[in-house]
Amino acid sequence: MHPVLQHLIDNDFSDLTGTRVEGQIALSDDLINLGLHELLSQFIAPAPAPQEATSVPTTGTGATPSTPDPRALLRKLDVEKLHYRTEAGRTIVEIACAVQK
Amino acid sequence: MGGGYATMPSPASPVITSLLREPSAALAGTDVRLTLPLTRSLLNEILAARPPDTPVKQLLIDPESGNRFRVHLTAHAPLVGSVTRRITFATCGPVAFPDQPWLRFDIVDGLGFLDRSLISLLQGQIESRLPRGVELTSHYLRLHVPALLNHLGYQQLAPLLHNLEVHSEANRLILHLHLKTD
Repeated sequence: MHPVLQHLIDNDFSDLTGTRVEGQIALSDDLINLGLHELLSQFIAPAPAPQEATSVPTTGTGATPSTPDPRALLRKLDVEKLHYRTEAGRTIVEIACAVQK
Repeated sequence: MGGGYATMPSPASPVITSLLREPSAALAGTDVRLTLPLTRSLLNEILAARPPDTPVKQLLIDPESGNRFRVHLTAHAPLVGSVTRRITFATCGPVAFPDQPWLRFDIVDGLGFLDRSLISLLQGQIESRLPRGVELTSHYLRLHVPALLNHLGYQQLAPLLHNLEVHSEANRLILHLHLKTD
């Protein structure tokens, strides 16, 4: 994992306190469909092979996951506005949110 | 300036790849403002992750109030060998595309007469070792944001950047970003 991302996780994303996003994000239909395809591919992909018997089992405190748990960051979000709508050829999300302590 | 053009990094996700290939099309209609505080600890974590082959041995940043921040650096310089300086920068005006592409930081303290003379003398060598889009003189550091994005392989993102501004307050830099597609 990149050391900067690891730092953010280790500090429970406290470095991002005060981050604010406001406006509208538009995503093209092509991008949405590509995302759906990617999501579907992940669901139908074969399960990862079980760990070998010789490997050391990893437990909560010592192990670091390869990807962060998004819930750790989502818990800190103060969402003031989140509107979803569609227009011809695109999906639009109107958003206003901030990262709290 | 030195450094060649980089190719766009290739992320694993097809969605991200598509997004970075044509962001203006993929995000058409987007108009979003982002305020991103960069704490002292996070900034120094980012600086610590710099490529190992840079001539700077030590590099730390210390944001202060009043739109000033100090940079502590130890670097290898031609003629004089290893030098350690604590330089104070002042943030300047915003980057506004396409009219004002430079993000500029004035050097307001930390360089003596000899330092400034040495930098002026070695201006050509300094430029050749800096990434494309980064300009350092004895009076300022400035970043040509589209050229820097180009150097990093993200040139497609440049048209989305309508405004970019950096403020400094105690222990953190605040990055204000306005992304908008035409």
